[in-house]
Amino acid sequence: MNANQTEIEQRVKRYWYTDGIAELAGGGMLLLIGLYFSGQELLPAGSTARTLLEASLALLLIGGVLVTRRLVNALKIRLTYPRTGYVDYGEGRKNTGSRRLLTGGIAAAVAALLVLAGQWVGSFEWITAFTGLVFGLVFMILRARASGLARFYVLGGFCLVLGVGLSLSGLPMGYSLGLLYGLIGLASMLSGSIVLARYLRANPVPSEQ
Amino acid sequence: MEELRALADLDRLIHEPARLLIVTILSAVESADFLFLQRESGLTKGNLSAHLTRLEEAGYVKIQKTFKGKLPLTICSLTKTGRKALDEYRQKMREWVERAD
Repeated sequence: MNANQTEIEQRVKRYWYTDGIAELAGGGMLLLIGLYFSGQELLPAGSTARTLLEASLALLLIGGVLVTRRLVNALKIRLTYPRTGYVDYGEGRKNTGSRRLLTGGIAAAVAALLVLAGQWVGSFEWITAFTGLVFGLVFMILRARASGLARFYVLGGFCLVLGVGLSLSGLPMGYSLGLLYGLIGLASMLSGSIVLARYLRANPVPSEQ
Repeated sequence: MEELRALADLDRLIHEPARLLIVTILSAVESADFLFLQRESGLTKGNLSAHLTRLEEAGYVKIQKTFKGKLPLTICSLTKTGRKALDEYRQKMREWVERAD
């Protein structure tokens, strides 16, 4: 019974990724972050444009998350729910203020540790490999294991290899990070587009609700 | 004999396979609509509707008619009573399987 129960729960969780919309929108957000890092590297140091761009990171991240959420929700209302049904996973209940604060605190602590480690080693080139590792683990552990979908293992493996490859490429950190985010975003969008196209073909809108 | 008596104590409303499936699906989410439950359970509309009505009458499931954007939805969610009943059912089944082993 426990096996069946786990299987049912996994199937229900997998439903969130059944249409590829979350990957498509999330990939778009990563692509924007990639363009941000590359743009930063292209602009001359100390220029007003670069200072403005550097100051807009928080805006990009917060705005990007909000826009991505709205976009995913709107697309699911239009494409997914009429075809295969609506599910509320209750993220609002879990996403409490203390939880957000804890996540922010952990992220800040990790960032501070990375800066200290970089200063200690005397180089920040490995940050790209580390970022690839984090993305790889997120795809493999949080997504693939929770949903049982094999494509997330592929995406996770791609992130790991790409992170190490770009780290060893000798590119300036801004470019390599920009390429890492951009290529992960493109891969995620590609995967999402294929899944969405298949989903729409397999699930025409029912004639009656 | 004691094992058999334990079986008789099971909540028969949940023990029915189709209803157990519905309740297990709903236990994994905050809420889901009729169409999703129908696809996941493989039940016909009439059958699913009848089971949901029984679960609603027992206070295990809450059913609401609402809108998501312009889309009309029949949203079903497990109540606290329903969640407790499912937990108790699982516990009893686990105990029974352990005793039977």
